[in-house]
Amino acid sequence: MAPRRRQLKNAVAEAMQFRRRAAIAFLAVGGALCGLAGWYFRLQVLEHAEYATRSEANRIKPLPVVPGRGLILDRKGRVLADNVPAFRLDVVPDEAGDLDELIGKLSKVVALTPEDIERFRKDRKAKRGFRPVTLKLRVGEEEAARFAVDRWRYPGVELVPYLNRRYPYGTEFAHVIGYVGRIDEADLAKMGDVDSALTHTGKAGLERYYEDALRGKVGYEKIETNVEGRALRRLGQVPAVPGADLKLSVDLDLQRAMVAAFGDMDGSAVAIDPRTGEILAMVSLPSYDPNLFVNGISHADYKALIDNPSRPLFNRNVLGGGPPGSTVKPLIALAGLDSGLRRPEDAVFSTGEFHIPGQRRGYRDAHGGAGWTDLRKSIAASVNFYYYKLAYEMGIARFDQYMRKYGFGAPTGIDLAGENSGVVPSPQWKAKRTKEPWYPGETVISGIGQGYWVATTLQLARGVAAIANGGRLVRPHLAASRRDGYAAPWTPLPQPEAPHITDNPAHMRAVQEGMVGTMQPGGTGFSLVRGAPYLMAGKTGTAQKISRRGSASVDPHQLPFHLRHQALFVGYAPADNPTIAVAVAVEHGGFGASTAGPIARKIFDAWLLGKMPEAPPSIAVPVAAGIAPAVAPAVVPPQAPGR
Amino acid sequence: MNAIAHLLFGIVARVLRTVDLWLLGALLALMGIGLAVLYSAGAETPHLVVAQGARFAVGLAAMWGLSRIPPTRLRHWSPLVYGVSLLPLLLVLAIGQGKHGNHWINLGVFYFQPSEVIKLSLPMMLAWFLQREALPPRLRTTLISGVLIAVPFGLILLQPDFGTGMLVASSGVFALFLAGLSWWWFVAAVGGVAAVAPVAWIWMLRPYQKDRILTFLNPESDPLGAGWNIIQSKIAIGAGGMTGKGWGQGSQSHLDYLPEHTTDFIFAVLSEEFGWIGVATVLALYLFVIGRCLWIAAEARDGYSRLLAGALGLAFFVYVIVNGGMISGMLPVVGVPMPLLSYGGTSAVSLLAGLGLVMAVGAHRPRHAT
Repeated sequence: MAPRRRQLKNAVAEAMQFRRRAAIAFLAVGGALCGLAGWYFRLQVLEHAEYATRSEANRIKPLPVVPGRGLILDRKGRVLADNVPAFRLDVVPDEAGDLDELIGKLSKVVALTPEDIERFRKDRKAKRGFRPVTLKLRVGEEEAARFAVDRWRYPGVELVPYLNRRYPYGTEFAHVIGYVGRIDEADLAKMGDVDSALTHTGKAGLERYYEDALRGKVGYEKIETNVEGRALRRLGQVPAVPGADLKLSVDLDLQRAMVAAFGDMDGSAVAIDPRTGEILAMVSLPSYDPNLFVNGISHADYKALIDNPSRPLFNRNVLGGGPPGSTVKPLIALAGLDSGLRRPEDAVFSTGEFHIPGQRRGYRDAHGGAGWTDLRKSIAASVNFYYYKLAYEMGIARFDQYMRKYGFGAPTGIDLAGENSGVVPSPQWKAKRTKEPWYPGETVISGIGQGYWVATTLQLARGVAAIANGGRLVRPHLAASRRDGYAAPWTPLPQPEAPHITDNPAHMRAVQEGMVGTMQPGGTGFSLVRGAPYLMAGKTGTAQKISRRGSASVDPHQLPFHLRHQALFVGYAPADNPTIAVAVAVEHGGFGASTAGPIARKIFDAWLLGKMPEAPPSIAVPVAAGIAPAVAPAVVPPQAPGR
Repeated sequence: MNAIAHLLFGIVARVLRTVDLWLLGALLALMGIGLAVLYSAGAETPHLVVAQGARFAVGLAAMWGLSRIPPTRLRHWSPLVYGVSLLPLLLVLAIGQGKHGNHWINLGVFYFQPSEVIKLSLPMMLAWFLQREALPPRLRTTLISGVLIAVPFGLILLQPDFGTGMLVASSGVFALFLAGLSWWWFVAAVGGVAAVAPVAWIWMLRPYQKDRILTFLNPESDPLGAGWNIIQSKIAIGAGGMTGKGWGQGSQSHLDYLPEHTTDFIFAVLSEEFGWIGVATVLALYLFVIGRCLWIAAEARDGYSRLLAGALGLAFFVYVIVNGGMISGMLPVVGVPMPLLSYGGTSAVSLLAGLGLVMAVGAHRPRHAT
């Protein structure tokens, strides 16, 4: 069978057939390989840029380098906020496997609070899976040791050293410095990918206002990593810029003296250098321990602070405010002079009760008729009649205009966030709030700092500083200078030009004489000057936040916060060459001279004579931040009866 | 002096008498490039290069040895070789080892991959069968050829190893094509595949094979899972650009982003480090090797030699197009090495041995004209 077939074979035809097919095959192979080369040409040449970028993105990962946060120092260079080395527990979710199981295992070696776990779950959602998420800050030494022994049991969990913010003076500076807190989702949304390596950001006070300066700039190392993310070598770096240090104008000793001067009273006070606007001390009481907030405050601590009727978290200097009462009279007197309605020597006869012409209602003086009263006496003896009449004659429009010129009704520009503007009474302001028209009687009571007035302690301090320095409305500020890096020189922070509040030095002198008179025989503050080797100028005041008729039978501690009385004092010293101006507000302080005045005197003594009040009430300074007692003493509402 | 040189030259000429120097030159160039890329891909240690060099030595020895056997004797042995080579294919199903199936038999000294032998014995068998028949092949001849192809193909699919099965089957189909098989068969085959594909999808393909095809269609759908290999491979190729990142500078392979970068994906390493110029050079060398094989085949005087040399040469092409297309996302992922570049023993040896058979065809041409 086979041989027969072989006879049928045509060798020449088969060879020809083969060559035809081989040629076709070669052309097909050549074409296919050219097609393949063309496909590679497309990837390698036409689309090269895209793949090159992706290759670099594969290879190079930025490794954030977190800078140390800037220090905050007092005017003499003493540390008010610093960083102490601590350990935290970070989890990389992609490497950690089952997170619930992991947390369960970890909680046996490290104390995890429900807050820690809740926060971890929230943060986790805001970050990409390969970025570490902090589970617990400030891991204790013993906990760290327990974890380290067994660390192989916790894949993706790392003990990371970091710098923990500490406020050595705790409550005493809480309302100045504020605090840093854990970065939350809202903060993260504002940050770049590299910045997300930060754990803390300023949440209140100077820490918040100067966040950008204090934070510095997160640097990063460009790290070549393999597919498992293991760093192989460093290709380069963008160095971290350490946070700038801030030097405050605040003086540690004066601040502590001010806190001590309040004793167990609530209130606020500002001491300011009238020449520059530098704040020398600023206190709002009761206060709180800012160290509690650094690593996330517990629900219990936070509830205690929030439920406290005296509102320790509330910065009274900046956010609070109420009627300035008689403390604003010197400036109203200045308005009278500058408006041409009064000359310093013009006297008004005080009957003890002012009547708007044609009205039966009388506006009374506290101490009855004072007789003939000139400008100096009107301030020294705080004669209401003089100011009722002046305000009435001036009219609310001009009154409003002058008070705004003196800095009321607008933020002072202090370096703290969320400052309250206060209110200067005016028909426009009232129209916005109520449908009622403006009554002339409201003009009259505005003249003694009552009615719709709202002024912050800080605004009062600035006003009195302007009188002390001869009429310049300086910007009150806490931070005086900064340095960018440890070796860098201190650079003063620029301050705006201070506007002048009067063109006439004689007018200002008359007002100053009135304030000096306050502290002399016949003045409302004479009792305060006993034994002072320097000359003081001042003005007392009492702000009624609730009508006198209703308040008699009411325990002031039961009053809602915003209705409490305030005893007020503004003043400066030495009167002939002022270096310090103060405004003091004491809640439930009664008459200004009796409570607020003595506090001001202690502040003057401390600053001018270096005389410290008795040892300040023991304020727990946590040795290591974050393990402070649950509630700092100052946080507990003072229970002293019969104040 | 001159006499000694003459003598040495004479000895070398005698030793290399049966070796096609054109083919050898191209192969040495490819092997040199392969070892250079392997050195880079293998974390720049000589370990893999030495092992691969040893395999090349074995392969070159096999090539030389086979090139000395006259095709007439080869033809005589063909049915026996074919029959015997089917036995280990059966055996491997019983005692074989491997990652995804039973691919290797452990012989103690080395792992023997039975499917490599059939890559040579099947073309031999078909060439033997077809040269006995009248050509172009008739229906009966074609059907018998189909059975000869289908038996080893089926056995290899059972391992399962689709890539090798396809290589083996294609060498048989090339023999049929070169023998003058009617174009209608190819039209029918394409139609048949189209018809069978849905059935194969449901009944025959393994899950990992389905994954590969789905991934091929849309690698970005699962960039960290099944699509990872192709995405990283395309990045490596594309990042190479026209001239490449330079030898040893390929970050995709050196940082382990590229999977299997010494074996199946080594051509991507070459693409990254030597750019399109390197790719075009290597493809040109492959084309030259295939063209030279077809030329030797066309010059041969008898049907057996022609078909054997032609089929073996064209089988080379399947390796190149499947591997080069697979790693660049042009074709689905099929485990086929890049000839003489990919690290791995048996395929290099069997390829060189196959080219030894081609050289034998070229060396043992009858001196007389037709």
